[in-house]
Amino acid sequence: MRKRDTGNFDLVLFGLALALTAYGLVLIYSGSLTSSGGVRESLSGPVGRQLVFAAIGIGAFLAVSQVDYRFLAQGSLGMYVGLIAALTFVLVFGAQAFGSRRWIDIGGTHVQPSEIGKIVVILTLAKYLSDQGERVKELRVFLTSLAIAALPALLVFAEPDLGSAVIFLLIWLGMVVMAGCDMRHIMGAMGMVIAMLPFALIAVVTDYQRERVSLFLDPSQDPLGSGFNILQAEISIGSGGLLGKGLTQGTQTQLDYLRTQTTDYIFSVLGEELGFVGAMLLFALFILLLWRGLRAAALCRDDFGRSIAVGVVIFILFQAFINIGVNIRLFPVTGIPLPFISQGGSSLVTVFIAIGLLESVLIRHRQMSPYGLT
Amino acid sequence: MGYSTGRKPWRSDPPRELTDEAEAAKRKVFYLGLVVLAVFGVLTVQLARLQLISGEKYALRAENNRLRQVSITPPRGLIYDRHGVPLVENRASFSAAIVAADLPPEQETAITVTLQELLGVPAGEIAARVQERRRSNDPFSPVAIKENLSQETAFRLRERLPELPGVRVIVEPRREYINGPLLSHVIGFLGPIDDTEYAALRSRGYQLNDDIGKTGVEYTYESALRGIPGVKVVEADASGREVRTILEQPATPGASIVLSLDLDLQQKVTEFVQAGMGRSRNAAAVVMDVRTGEILALVSLPTYDNNVFARGVDQREIERLLTDPGKPLVNHAIAEMYPPGSTFKQITGIAALQEGIANASTRITSLGSIQVRNQYNPSISYTFKDWAALGTMDFYRGVAMSSDVYFYYLAGGYVDFNSGRDVFQGLGAARLASWARKFGLGAATGIDLPGESEGLVPDPAWKERALGEVWTVGDTYNMGIGQGYVATTPLQMLLVTAAIANGGDVLVPHVVREIRDAAGGVIVPPWRRVKNNLNVDPRNINIMREAMRQAVDTGTATTAKVRSVAVAGKTGTAEFGERRPDGSYLEHGWFTGFAPYDNPEIAVVVFLEQGGGALTAAPVAAKIFDYYFQRKNLAEAR
Repeated sequence: MRKRDTGNFDLVLFGLALALTAYGLVLIYSGSLTSSGGVRESLSGPVGRQLVFAAIGIGAFLAVSQVDYRFLAQGSLGMYVGLIAALTFVLVFGAQAFGSRRWIDIGGTHVQPSEIGKIVVILTLAKYLSDQGERVKELRVFLTSLAIAALPALLVFAEPDLGSAVIFLLIWLGMVVMAGCDMRHIMGAMGMVIAMLPFALIAVVTDYQRERVSLFLDPSQDPLGSGFNILQAEISIGSGGLLGKGLTQGTQTQLDYLRTQTTDYIFSVLGEELGFVGAMLLFALFILLLWRGLRAAALCRDDFGRSIAVGVVIFILFQAFINIGVNIRLFPVTGIPLPFISQGGSSLVTVFIAIGLLESVLIRHRQMSPYGLT
Repeated sequence: MGYSTGRKPWRSDPPRELTDEAEAAKRKVFYLGLVVLAVFGVLTVQLARLQLISGEKYALRAENNRLRQVSITPPRGLIYDRHGVPLVENRASFSAAIVAADLPPEQETAITVTLQELLGVPAGEIAARVQERRRSNDPFSPVAIKENLSQETAFRLRERLPELPGVRVIVEPRREYINGPLLSHVIGFLGPIDDTEYAALRSRGYQLNDDIGKTGVEYTYESALRGIPGVKVVEADASGREVRTILEQPATPGASIVLSLDLDLQQKVTEFVQAGMGRSRNAAAVVMDVRTGEILALVSLPTYDNNVFARGVDQREIERLLTDPGKPLVNHAIAEMYPPGSTFKQITGIAALQEGIANASTRITSLGSIQVRNQYNPSISYTFKDWAALGTMDFYRGVAMSSDVYFYYLAGGYVDFNSGRDVFQGLGAARLASWARKFGLGAATGIDLPGESEGLVPDPAWKERALGEVWTVGDTYNMGIGQGYVATTPLQMLLVTAAIANGGDVLVPHVVREIRDAAGGVIVPPWRRVKNNLNVDPRNINIMREAMRQAVDTGTATTAKVRSVAVAGKTGTAEFGERRPDGSYLEHGWFTGFAPYDNPEIAVVVFLEQGGGALTAAPVAAKIFDYYFQRKNLAEAR
């Protein structure tokens, strides 16, 4: 009972994360074959870089899983302040691409603070909500928690990165529900959001976002511009059919009809080359991974740990949902990476840290158990 | 583990029971699990819709994305004269174009400015055209920026292409008509396919930016000259670059056309007509082989340069051509109809001989005119004049001297003015009209050139219908000498003479002698087509030939006489237009004849608007005959 209990380390969870990462590497390889110039270039370029990020991610994962999550709670306020500072910095000095500022350029690599920011918000909210005990039903607590999520959400929204802003709010929503906040408050807040949506679309949403929404509704109005990606993604996935055209055999992918095919549209590569079956395999891996996350939440005995686990599950779930939804035309275009799969260091390291937190919660849940049993 | 974890060190936490609250938390986790399944359920449903239900539709769209069908335009067939002299060339023409889909938007300004410097086309205009094409459904096909670049500009642009992504130098064959105005009315020209033509020809592989024969041989023989376009199916990437060729069906080059025209003769005939035109606003001359129907020369003046149309449209020049009073764009040899005047007497004469109205020794006296009473009111009478009081003539003399009175008798007969007694039984309008039609008048000759006029053969029914008037004997008289309502093209009168020369075959004339494939093999050999045989007794034909011979020898057409060959022919001076105050009319000059008299080889028609038969037309014909047979004799002597 006093041992370090590494026996609770969830190997299945870790294995699923590695499997998803490997799946991503295969897709990045195929997706970058033509754009990078060939097999060698692809392996030494995008695939190689992603492998390095995966190694960093695994390192971070191991480190985080070894640290007691409750220890992290001590630093959550500091991290939160740092996050707000970083997001503000991005808005002012950030590197620009595709019409938005999302990155800080550090030594030649783009670092996207909004990614790791999701972890920070999870930790901060978990800490705040679990500290409130019975007061969690109070409106003041509810509103404070909303403010904690809304501040970074507004900052990323201004980048503009609507997708991440939505993720922040979904994480908050999931966590306040789990924390036992007053359902009337939650319903009220959601009602207000729905009521304000039309005004927000007119007043707050930038031209860039409005254009994206209108293109989503009718991509043919600009078949070569922004509408191009939407149409080509749809064609890529649809043409994959049941079994796909075979890895590296997708004409849409390999002839560059698909753009940003290793990042935002990597799911379209999968859809075209590996078909419905390949997508079902991906869904299965995600569902298993999220199930292991939920298992962690269920096993956890303290509100704080459970809150973290729920936050992580919601984060990965909706990140995947929105990314895939954009690819298959359920949502307007928003640049959200597909966890574990999309090329990009910030996202990969962040999801590894996220499941590191799950492991941390799992490793220590027994120590919280009143009877040493679960 | 010595974590100092602030307010609530976990180690000192009292163990908690599994409270209702913990149960609630577990339930919520379970619900979150349901949310997870619901989310992936939604994704799966949408994915199944795209991939499983509409998969085939998208597969087709992906193929359409990837595969481009590129048409390979075959080289257009060439055109030669009857001796193999090339008359057209396919030259390279350079134009600058942009493929909108390949133009990187961030470099657009720099590129359009560079193009402005190189080509002199305003950058804004280029950008507008690119923008328009981007919006269209077809951003991959090049949009022209400037056509007909000089070779120097084209090379300079080509050198800079690496720094101008999306810009192309397009090399297209352009038709160059070597002899220009000399053959414009025969060869015609190419022009961009128009909407109606495209709609009709799309199924035969024509494309929107194709050129097509607009007139002349280029038009008539379009399908042979064009060849069969090839097809290439290529795989193209998103920027339109052809990655590889999947299928290729090569083009079949267009067939070559060998004209029956003789370039040298055409040149000379043009010069002779030009020199003989005088105050004529326009003129035409045609030389035909009477044995085959092959046209050896076809001249219509004034003419135009067909290269004007081939080089792209010069509006000012076209405006000038359209307003010129000589109507240079009209082929006067085939497209305009005129009263044939006395050349029509060939028809009246043959008809009278064959119908038994007259024979070689039929004698008629011309006192300079005959008089006819009005058929309803005998107190009114009309006078029909001869050009002179020619005295008593037999058939030969009647033709040779072109006596109008002689032919009034043959056409309409004669009723003695005083006694009212039938002196001479004529052909009558119906028989005359029927013979005119047998000779091919009043209908297209079927020549292989577009725009032919049919002319007009009047008869009582026509007059009743068109003018609401009753046909009179005077109308028959007028028709008998090629006046009144008869109208023919110069080519039609040539065919009349040719039929007399060759023994009665009204031929289908043609300017093309044979068609060869690109390798020189004969596809269509020389041909001869008879439209109608006159079925005239050879003796009667010979009487007419002899009469026409006498016309040239001692009659009205002596100005057509040459030393190199025995010519037979008939002049015509046709009145037209409104009667002038002094009672005279404007006149057209005609001559139509054949040679050699005893073994006819060619027939010639010369028509001079506002000219005279013997005075201006026959001398031109004489030069043509003389040139043709002198050259022939010279060649045979060698």
